[in-house]
Amino acid sequence: MTLLAFNPETARTPTHLSADKLHLGYRDRKIVHDLSVNIPPHRFTVIVGANACGKSTLLRGLARLLAPTEGTVLLDGKSIHQMPTGDVAQRMGLLPQTPVAPQSILVADLVGRGRYPHQGWFRRWTRDDDRIVGEALTLTGVGDLGGRALDELSGGQRQRVWIAMALAQETGLLLLDEPTTFLDIAHQVEVLDLLTDLTRHQGRTIVAVLHDLNLACRYADNLIAMKDGRIVAEGAPREIVTPDLVERVFGLTARIVTDPVSDTPMVVPLGRHHVAIAAE
Amino acid sequence: MNTMPQPHEFIDIGADVAGIREALARRRLVVIGGLALLLAALFTAAMVMGDYPVTLPEILTSLLSPFTGTTQKGIDFIVLGVRLPRALVAVAAGVAFGLSGVLFQDVLRNPLASPDIIGITIGSATAAVAAIIVLHWGGGWLASAALVGGLATAGLIYLLAWQQGVSPYRVVLVGIGIGAVMTAMMSYIFTRARLVEVQEAVTWLTGSLNGSQMKDAVQLGAEVIVLGLLLIPLSRAAGALELGDDTARALGSRVERARFLLLGVGVTLCALATAVTGPIAFVSLMAGPIARLLLGPSGGAIVPAALTGAAVTLCADLIAQHLFFSVQLPVGVVTGGIGALFLIAMLITANRTGRTS
Repeated sequence: MTLLAFNPETARTPTHLSADKLHLGYRDRKIVHDLSVNIPPHRFTVIVGANACGKSTLLRGLARLLAPTEGTVLLDGKSIHQMPTGDVAQRMGLLPQTPVAPQSILVADLVGRGRYPHQGWFRRWTRDDDRIVGEALTLTGVGDLGGRALDELSGGQRQRVWIAMALAQETGLLLLDEPTTFLDIAHQVEVLDLLTDLTRHQGRTIVAVLHDLNLACRYADNLIAMKDGRIVAEGAPREIVTPDLVERVFGLTARIVTDPVSDTPMVVPLGRHHVAIAAE
Repeated sequence: MNTMPQPHEFIDIGADVAGIREALARRRLVVIGGLALLLAALFTAAMVMGDYPVTLPEILTSLLSPFTGTTQKGIDFIVLGVRLPRALVAVAAGVAFGLSGVLFQDVLRNPLASPDIIGITIGSATAAVAAIIVLHWGGGWLASAALVGGLATAGLIYLLAWQQGVSPYRVVLVGIGIGAVMTAMMSYIFTRARLVEVQEAVTWLTGSLNGSQMKDAVQLGAEVIVLGLLLIPLSRAAGALELGDDTARALGSRVERARFLLLGVGVTLCALATAVTGPIAFVSLMAGPIARLLLGPSGGAIVPAALTGAAVTLCADLIAQHLFFSVQLPVGVVTGGIGALFLIAMLITANRTGRTS
């Protein structure tokens, strides 16, 4: 059996994540208002929106890093806040925007930390853990870096190591907060290809916050556009991305053309300069 | 390397992972073993060295005398009454300071955030100074005041840093602020004191192992062992906290609770040791970073830091007693001197690498 072959039995029983009338905020500042959403299983969902629209806050709320002021997050129909946090960690992984690593930690050691929720008082490290860590390293293309220190790696390699750590957690559901920020374009594409592989070949459910609208349109099976803490539109990019939506969500006048490579919508901004054709 | 592996070329590298993991574990064991040997050597030196010459066999006979009943006049007093309690208190206090330092540095993810930098030790000291000068306390009451002062200061810092949970950064900033307030209070108390009282207070503040007694050693030793045992179930959570609050929560660690318990154990260890010996400067700051330097990429610095703390304290006390021939210094003077240099070196390297956390 190879890892990449989709095997719903060993791998990932579908984990259903949804939010019901969710309100999120920090102290007096309300950020997400009355938001309900269903994350489709086995799909790559991307959340987009302008800065400070609440997309990262929503992700933190879904990942139970932020307790809601009202409403609930449901994992397989049960309130995530009432489940033991260790049980949640066996089903849902999260990669924060700027993860922190202990100084001079080795790659294999860091990825091994992803096994945390599967270990405990009496459950020691086993050969299985080694195998799973090895798989996560190979899958993210850093199999030969296991013995290297994390601080020696390039940004792209480091990001793949962090994704490997989240993969070693072996969860059906994986949330990522801007996994492509700080990466150059080649590494952005590489990371998004990897996440797509994880949904297609392993049946994982992925939710990522992304900054780049065009990459989001290309890679998302399901796109969620947010503005002012609310969902403005949700669905396949081909169905929902229109000039009107871009205007509403980003305040940007743009034309939508078809991406010649992927046949998905591509957003071409109309600025004040360098516009060779008349705006429609 | 940058391409995704195709299904047919997938290879199991679990054995490589195991190899790396085992190498890390081996290095950690070597460090722990080496530190234990060093500690044993220092302990032996502490028993042998002194104005009154005692040989190793005499020391062994003396140590075993409670079981064998063989008494050696004079030697028994030197060994069992003076040197053994002093060395044992040094080890117990060193372990306590080392542990409290590494717990704070780990949990607050800041190599400078040891209890002597962020106000806990100063809290103990202020209470002790007040006890000496205002209340004219001594002995056990003085120790209790130092203990309560440390715990109360830590509680105050924790409450003031609370804001929908406690962020490590706020704990450090609030701690430094509280430390400054405590220092001011201590200065005020000094201005109201008579010279004799000031002398007594300053002696206590320097941190000293002079006059260590067997009952101190037994009491502090027992406390350190109990708190050390509490750390065994908590060390797993300490490993998760190293990865930052978000990742630790995502991995299923109960971050707020783990942080409270780990800091609680650290504060208690620091305050208990301070109550017995006074604040022995900078041991809690140095132990963790020295242990990490030895460990390199291997994690799990708690046990190595405890051993390092004990070795530093014992070694500093040997220097304080014997380096300057006739003049005997309090141990805190030596650790203070070494620690100040160490702190400067840490600030310089932290600056150079541009690390903020």
